[in-house]
Amino acid sequence: MRRFLARNAPAYIFLSPWLLGFFLLALGPILASLYLSFTRYDMVSAPRWVGFDNYSYMFTRDRRFWKALEVTFTYVALAVPARLIMALGVAMLLDKGLRTIGLYRAIFYLPSLLGASIAIAILWRQLFEANGVVNQVLAYFGIQGISWITNPDTSLYTLVILAMWQFGSPMLIFLAGLRGIPRDLYEAAEIDGTPRWRQFTRITLPLLAPVIFFNLVLQTIESFKTFSSAFIISNGTGAPADSLLFYTVYLFNEAFKFFRMGYASALAWVLLIIIAVFTAIAFFTSKYWVHYENERD
Amino acid sequence: MKMTRRGLMSTMGAGLAASTLAGVPALAQARSIRHYWWGNPERDKRTFAVIDTFQKAKTDIKVSGETIGWGDYWTKMATQTAGRNMADLVQMDYRFLFEYVRRGALKPLDEYVGKSLMIADFDKGPIDGGRVDGKLYALNIGSNSQVIVHNTRVFKEAGIDTDLINWTWDDFAKSCETITSKTGGKVKGSDDLSLMIEVFESWVRQNGREFYDKDGKVAATVEDVASYWQFWADLRKKDVVRSKDKTVILDIPIVESGVAVGDTAMSHYWSNQLVGIQAAAKDKIGAAMVPHKKGGQPGQFIKPSMFMSLSRDAKDVDAAIAYMNAWVTDPAITKILGLERGIPASAKVREQLAPGLNEVEKVSVAYFNAIASKVGPLPLPAPKGAGEVRDAFMRIGTDVVLDRASAKDAAATFVGDAQAIVERAL
Repeated sequence: MRRFLARNAPAYIFLSPWLLGFFLLALGPILASLYLSFTRYDMVSAPRWVGFDNYSYMFTRDRRFWKALEVTFTYVALAVPARLIMALGVAMLLDKGLRTIGLYRAIFYLPSLLGASIAIAILWRQLFEANGVVNQVLAYFGIQGISWITNPDTSLYTLVILAMWQFGSPMLIFLAGLRGIPRDLYEAAEIDGTPRWRQFTRITLPLLAPVIFFNLVLQTIESFKTFSSAFIISNGTGAPADSLLFYTVYLFNEAFKFFRMGYASALAWVLLIIIAVFTAIAFFTSKYWVHYENERD
Repeated sequence: MKMTRRGLMSTMGAGLAASTLAGVPALAQARSIRHYWWGNPERDKRTFAVIDTFQKAKTDIKVSGETIGWGDYWTKMATQTAGRNMADLVQMDYRFLFEYVRRGALKPLDEYVGKSLMIADFDKGPIDGGRVDGKLYALNIGSNSQVIVHNTRVFKEAGIDTDLINWTWDDFAKSCETITSKTGGKVKGSDDLSLMIEVFESWVRQNGREFYDKDGKVAATVEDVASYWQFWADLRKKDVVRSKDKTVILDIPIVESGVAVGDTAMSHYWSNQLVGIQAAAKDKIGAAMVPHKKGGQPGQFIKPSMFMSLSRDAKDVDAAIAYMNAWVTDPAITKILGLERGIPASAKVREQLAPGLNEVEKVSVAYFNAIASKVGPLPLPAPKGAGEVRDAFMRIGTDVVLDRASAKDAAATFVGDAQAIVERAL
């Protein structure tokens, strides 16, 4: 016990603000939502116990629940790889050690700070509207653009592009990872005449695997929880024709628009389980593709 | 059920006791009230002017106003209701009134009538529109009806001389064609009203049914919905209504409506919004009725609207009622309000306003007088879940507008969904 404390105490001290917040502010609502997910609760009258009704309704009768899953999974499948590739690409460009690197890093990180904000979502809507900036540029080249946001076939992709643009935080982590790769490996490869592409696949990727893994898990979780941009761009409803009905947007509507707090709580728990399953899959498969340098010690 | 209610009461009692024990006097923040309404720039300007006027007269009461567009209004209100943090006075709509009353979020006003709320001499019809199960939960600030707002200049130039009070859907379609061809397509006939459930409700009534029957079940048929969506699909095919991508934007702000922007010659609104639209539009606007069905029943009705309701969370009820009373009786205040929220229920106020009406207000009064004998009775109160049915109508209608579903298939989907929503909400 003493050894455990001696070794881990600093970690727990640094974690303590978060732990305090978790136990004081988050744990109660989490447990309450678990209870509420078995009730019918309209937020004004008292909750009424309904057993597994919410869950069975969700899986057997709720078409919009499945639609929300479809939208969210499509988004995660597209946005996570897109953002990670973008982040890695920019990180590799910035890993060249330019003199003004600090400035560039700040500039490239900026979109991620702004990205979650309401203002950017509104900006995005104006970019992709029928007479938005994107179409004005296209018109310059003689292309008649469509209204990207109000067309159910394209609306989701505008959000994927937004996600791609918010590559800042995984980019910083990649950059740190790239800095950790010993330069002499590249020098040796250079001397052997290994082409750049092979250097990337044989040195960079394998040694970066733990960082890629970390980013993958984090970004997947984050993408499942995407809310504010979808909420703003779809006017809070998932419109047009439910093409932007992200899981969280649906959940919000059920809770705060239609007064079904119990059902919304059940939706939230299903989302938690989905995220947990995906994280678990990532962890279980990681031993086949993630190698830690100090593993042999 | 009784047990839980008692449980809730005792919890609330305990909470009150706790706050007293903690030395927090419950009435310390008295003499301050919050008023929450959905608005537009014009309405907000007038409402804040009313607040100023009220505070000058009653210096001991502080009123703070909160306003937001219709699109977000109900979401914010639901959140505040859940957080037990509703404004003391909230603007209420006939569609949502019953939902809020049945959830216990509003307080009845009957005990104040004749004592601090002087509305005994008001028109009975409009006032009774605010009753639920016999109790008055909402004070009518103005009555409204639907209106097809139109650009009088374009109408004149296109040479349309149809009787806009008695016209039919055929006349409407023909006018759309004439306007589009006479302006060379620069101005389309009308906004595409496919997603306007309010217009569709009139359509159903013209077919001799209510949207909801007296048990609160959906009575509109698949045929009603399909024919409505098909009517607009035909107009889209002829390219005489506004473009699809403007149509599928939900609850579009007044300043972006076809008539305000100049894209179209007609838009659908409520009569009280005439003032707001005229403020946004370049040309002089006029008022037409929702077209009739040839040989059908009257569909449109006069809607008691822009209610003001006292919320469950109101602390200083006396101050709130004093404010409410000033809204409908204080001449300085009713003058500021004018007809922006609709036609007042008090004959005295109407008389007082008559000489000072501006042009668009005169249009509004004339319109009201013209439709009086053409409208049907007030429909039955909407059941719980009506708000969600409205969302479903817009969502499924979008598929028809964008040619992703036929009017017939989408109509079947909608009626099925609407029935399920209402049943689930019970």
